[in-house]
Amino acid sequence: MPERMFTLLIWGAALLVTGALLWLLADTVLQGVAHLSWAFIVDAPEHAGRDGGIGPILVSTLCILGVALLVSLPLGLGAAIWLAEFSRQGGFLGQIIRLSLDVLAGVPSIVYGLFGNAFFSLFLGFGFSILSGGLTLACMIIPVFIRSCEAGLSAIDHGWRHGALALGMSRSTAVWYILLPAAAPAIIAGLMLGIGRATAETAALIFTSGYVDRMPESWMDSGRALAVHIYDLSMNVTGGNAAAYASALVLVTLIVLLNVLAQAMTDRWVKRRIFSA
Amino acid sequence: MKKFKILLTTLICMMLFSQSSYAGSERLILTGSSTVAPLALEIGKRFEQLHAGVRVDVQTGGSTRGVLDARSGTADIGMASRALKGTEQDLTSHLIGMDGISIILHRNNPVKMLSNAQIIAIFTGKIRNWQQVGGENRSITVVNKAEGHSTLELFLHHFSLKNSQIKADVIIGDNQQGIKTVAGNPNAIGYVSIGTAEYEEAQGTAIKRLPMAGIAPTTEQVRLGKFPLSRPLNLITKGKPSSLAQSFIDFARSPAVRDLVEAQFFVAVASQH
Repeated sequence: MPERMFTLLIWGAALLVTGALLWLLADTVLQGVAHLSWAFIVDAPEHAGRDGGIGPILVSTLCILGVALLVSLPLGLGAAIWLAEFSRQGGFLGQIIRLSLDVLAGVPSIVYGLFGNAFFSLFLGFGFSILSGGLTLACMIIPVFIRSCEAGLSAIDHGWRHGALALGMSRSTAVWYILLPAAAPAIIAGLMLGIGRATAETAALIFTSGYVDRMPESWMDSGRALAVHIYDLSMNVTGGNAAAYASALVLVTLIVLLNVLAQAMTDRWVKRRIFSA
Repeated sequence: MKKFKILLTTLICMMLFSQSSYAGSERLILTGSSTVAPLALEIGKRFEQLHAGVRVDVQTGGSTRGVLDARSGTADIGMASRALKGTEQDLTSHLIGMDGISIILHRNNPVKMLSNAQIIAIFTGKIRNWQQVGGENRSITVVNKAEGHSTLELFLHHFSLKNSQIKADVIIGDNQQGIKTVAGNPNAIGYVSIGTAEYEEAQGTAIKRLPMAGIAPTTEQVRLGKFPLSRPLNLITKGKPSSLAQSFIDFARSPAVRDLVEAQFFVAVASQH
């Protein structure tokens, strides 16, 4: 009897979670698909977003994400390699950095938004711009990304490192050709978490990349992110619901596409490292 | 490595190029009230069409931010959905529209009228059941606005309340959220922008507006200046605005944008000539 209860509970939990997710997706698709069209994706918004499309907003979103990834990928990977491979095991500095990264990962995004506004927009003088927004997002996703990559690197069996040493590989060669490819699944997971979090972000962007829904012409232009647009339509614009749902549908699709792309690119990279080195 | 270098060079070129491309254009920055922002954005677009080379950037953050940014010069023009306070008299406000606030209940709530004293008693938690004001035997859900919203300030000011006195069950941010909350809860009472409520009611959303002091909460009454709970939508400047800012303000107050004001469910006040 307890065994059956257990089975039932486990199944129940799994079904409940999947069901809730499916319901959410179905709701978005059902309510959004009627308003969705090719014109909606490429046109500029009109009438405060109720009519027209989301073309410039989509471009801004991708630019902000691009800046964020361009900054956070190399920095994050570097820091993770240092933590996992170069810092002394259980060393003081490493522990402090890990602790502060964990604290930073838990900080609410509005705090990053206010920091980004104060530091990038005002102190560094980037103003409301795609650059400010991207850098703020980079600050936000770096902690999670580092911890995820570090976990992947630390999980690699020590035998691999010893093997590389025995073959006379330099440390950088070992990291590049052996350890990073082996840690690739964790790196992808971190990357996807970062992309998801960055693409869905509102609070950190409303005060950094801003509210302007014009097609951006440079990194220093303000550009409205898709999540900010959805927030504005559903909370601020009377009669904006249909467009909000359609935008949400585009956002979900975009995140799925980006994840598939990230997965594919990492797969290619891993294969090249391991088999054609 | 070579690919990377090409990429880097391209990026730097793009940045240099783009830096110079907008150096020639004039830029007007507006920040402030999230209520005024969608309207200002639309006015800005029409203004850009009439003035080649001018760019109007609208940012949000609340009325108080609009006032502060106008004072510090971070913004050329601030936006505020309230009148300037006594401590803000160093600034100048320019009225571009009006917005009224209405008490809303769920459509199925039989209560038709509430006196000011009853509204105060409900929001301060002294009346907790609809039966006490002629409704059904159900407990009342009080929906209040979050700090920093001018709707809240106007509401508190009108009823001479402090926010700490209000016993809220739900705290919401914006008008749409308020309407969704009340429409989804037959016991709720809240307050939102009249234009928004009017539109949502016409769309069949399950809410109803309560009259205030016998005056129906309609945009028409707000326009006539008769409705007691209403607020001005202002553009804020410090000192003498630049000629570009001045021409934007004149444009925003002119009949040329009347349709835009009404499309946002606000009440146009543009001089009619």
